[in-house]
Parts: sequence; C-alpha cells; structure tokens
Amino acid sequence: MSMALPVPVPVATGGWRARVQRFGGFLAGMVIPNIGAILAWGLLTAFVIPTGWTPNAKLAQMVGPLITFLLPILIGYTGGYLVYGQRGAVVGAIGTAGVAVGSSVPQFIGAMIMGPLGGLVIKEFDNRTQEHVPTGFEMLVNNFSAGIIGAGLAILAFWAIGPAVEHASTALGHAVNFLINHTLLPLVSIIVEPAKVLFLNNAINHGVLAPLGVAKAAKHGKAIEFMIESNPGPGLGLLTAYWFFGPRSIRPSAPGAIIIQFFGGIHEVYFPYVLMRPILIVGMIAGGMAGVLTFLVTHAGLVATPSPGSIFAYLAETPKGGYFGVLAGVAVGAIVSFLVNSFLLKLTSREDEAVEEEVARAETAPASAPAPAPATA
Amino acid sequence: MPTIQGSDVHKVVVACEAGMGSSVLLVSQLRQRLKGTGVEVDHAPVRGIPPDADVIVVNRGLEATARSVAPDTVVVPFAMFRGDPAFDRLVKAIKEGATLEG
Repeated sequence: MSMALPVPVPVATGGWRARVQRFGGFLAGMVIPNIGAILAWGLLTAFVIPTGWTPNAKLAQMVGPLITFLLPILIGYTGGYLVYGQRGAVVGAIGTAGVAVGSSVPQFIGAMIMGPLGGLVIKEFDNRTQEHVPTGFEMLVNNFSAGIIGAGLAILAFWAIGPAVEHASTALGHAVNFLINHTLLPLVSIIVEPAKVLFLNNAINHGVLAPLGVAKAAKHGKAIEFMIESNPGPGLGLLTAYWFFGPRSIRPSAPGAIIIQFFGGIHEVYFPYVLMRPILIVGMIAGGMAGVLTFLVTHAGLVATPSPGSIFAYLAETPKGGYFGVLAGVAVGAIVSFLVNSFLLKLTSREDEAVEEEVARAETAPASAPAPAPATA
Repeated sequence: MPTIQGSDVHKVVVACEAGMGSSVLLVSQLRQRLKGTGVEVDHAPVRGIPPDADVIVVNRGLEATARSVAPDTVVVPFAMFRGDPAFDRLVKAIKEGATLEG
C-alpha cells in the first residue's frame, strides 16, 4: 500500500558526522539496552515518592540505590561488554562502582567512561599476557587479573574520575538551568532538530540529555531534559503535512508512518521525509522550539526518559498532576510543525512535480539497469 | 564490491544504531515477505553485526559504519522505512535467485 520515490538522500558518508555518530552511537549503545531499568526506576519513583500517586516510605527506599548504583553500574557493565565481552563487562562494572559510591549525582557520565575504560584495560592486559600463561593457570590468572585490575580501577574512579565527572556534570547542569531560567531552552532545538534527522537522535538523547535529565529527576521528580529530543509532536505535524500537502506519490505512505512514529515512537521513519525536502528542517525547528517553550512555561517534565518517544511513553511517564503541560507541549509542537511544514511543502511543490516527472520518465525509459519493482508492501 | 546469489542467502540482518528500535520494525516486515523461503531475518546493532550474516540491510545514514564493520558482506542500504524499492529488490533477488551486489 505504501509508495515512495527513490529519493537521493544527501547524507555524507564520512567526515565529522560519521565520527560524531560513531561516538554518540557508542554512548547510546551503553544506555539503550538498559532503558528497561531506567523505566523501572522512573515508574517506581512516580508512584512511591511522597508527592507520587501512592506514597510509600518503605518502598521509596529503593529509589536512591536504583538511580545511584543499579543504573550507572548497568551502563558501565554494558560499556565494558561492548569493548570486550563478558570480561570487559565485569571489569567495567567494578570500575563504575568506584564512581557511583560517594557521588552526589547519578554517575551516568562516569559510567560511560569507566565501563569502556575497564573493558579496554582488561583487553589490553589479556592481549599482552595470554601467550605467557602456563597451561593450567589460565583460570587463576584470568580471575585474579580481572579482580586486581577492577579493584585498581575502582580506586582510581573513586579518587579521581568520580569527582572530576561530578564537577563537569554540575557545570553542565548549571548551563542547562541558565537556559531554563532565562527561557532560552527552546534555542536548543536549533541544534537538536537538524542533528536528529541526521540520525544523531540517539546520541543526543541518550548520550547527553538523558544523563542531565536523570540528575534533575532524581532531585525534583521530573525533568524537561527528557522532552527536548523525544517530543513526538513535531514529527506528527510533519507527517500530517505530507499526508495533506505532500507530493501525491508520497501521501499514501504518511498515515502508516504516523502510526509508527507517534504511537510506536520510532522517530526514524520521519527523517527521510525531512531529508527529501531539506527546507522542512525549518518547520521541524519551529515545531521543536514551540514544544519546548510550552513545556517550559507550563513547568512540564517526565519522570524518566521516554524511549521510544511515543505518546504512550509520554503518558506513562507524566508525573501526577502534570498532564496539562505534557499534552500541551506535544500538541503545540505538532500544530506549529504542521502549519510551517504545510506552508513550506506548498511553497516548494512546483519543484517536486518536476522531480516526479523526471522519475516517471526514468522509470518508463528502456533502462539499462532493471527498474525497481513497484512497491506493494 | 561483494556479491551474493539470492539462493545463497540464508540470513538477512537488519542493523540500526542500537539494534532494538527501527531495525526491529523492518524485521517483522521482511520476515513476512520472506515467509516460506527459509531465510532467517534478524536484527542487530550496527557495531554488532553477527559474522554469519549473508546480507546486511541498513539505513543510508549508517551505511558507512556497516561497511567498515563487515567489508566482505553485501550491504543493502535504504532511505525510507516503508516501501523503499531496496526491500523489493532484496526480496525479489532472494525469491528468484538473482545476484545481489553492494
């Protein structure tokens, strides 16, 4: 039922974008597999803290250890695993415990350093020693090397890396607070929205915004940082604009994309719609800024990172009494994005008629290469 | 450029950044379309593509990464998550035994 033009996507395959994506993707790769645990913490917090749905002082004892220890250690474990499998994971987790203990902020960033570092150190050690271990001593050497290196890293993390990261996190948090207090936060969309459609979405959301948001949510029970990249409203507005005013051949694919994006939370499905008409990034920025501004003035926040960025995740993670601001920000983001993107689509429609004609001509021409079969998915 | 005969394809791996979001969405679509061919369709993070993958399906934004991870495996890049002609070419090649290149 869906149709699509074989549109050339202007994506550079090398250069800074690839490097940023590789690095950001690595950060996201440590966080995303653990989102279940982040949700457990967020939901538990929303229910049992004194201002929650069902305050319960006994169960609330879990909130602190979950955010301080479980989440960073899981992230560090995963980071170590990405570098050097199970052995890397164990050493990464031990090192992460060193940053987590005694820290006053949830050490997500510390975990993102210690996890891979632990994996790297034990990998390097194994590479250098493996050949020299006498037969029969492998297990002894393996276990004690992991234990000794892990303990050493934990001490290094406790004394040096933990405090350094704590300072850096606090400074970053202050910078974000400055933007919030001066109503400048919407400006962040100017960077976030273009980066998002270049597939840096996970890097930004899970690599940068989630650690900041978690620190704030641990203190205040909710954070706006979770909603800057993940707002499903602007994408809904864009796809709706395509549905009504897009090139005729693309319109039928929009409703299906809306279901996947807005309800399923897979924002990636809308990125190609922006990339095939790059001017629409203006509409995405407008929608993103309007959404963030609405969240800001209504003091909206979520209890944990909504992943995937679905409207259902938003509803599930809205703290008690916070529905108005959350829904308003999603709606305003969608409406502004729809209006601006519709206008831009109309404005550029002459161009795409030419493109469609060209494609039609190319498809009917006796092609040297086999023409793509019509989409019938 | 690596090539493979459609009939030699036993495992298609859809890769995305984390291996649990957009790739899963495509896995269910491709599985349905390859039903009855005996071809296994799986998802994976782009940096963790399993070595037994015969064909890698990946978004153009991650194509370079996929190629560097698995330089000897055929990579089928796509732009649209729904209705991209790349999927049709892949399914057709597997069902009719044509050569896949890329």
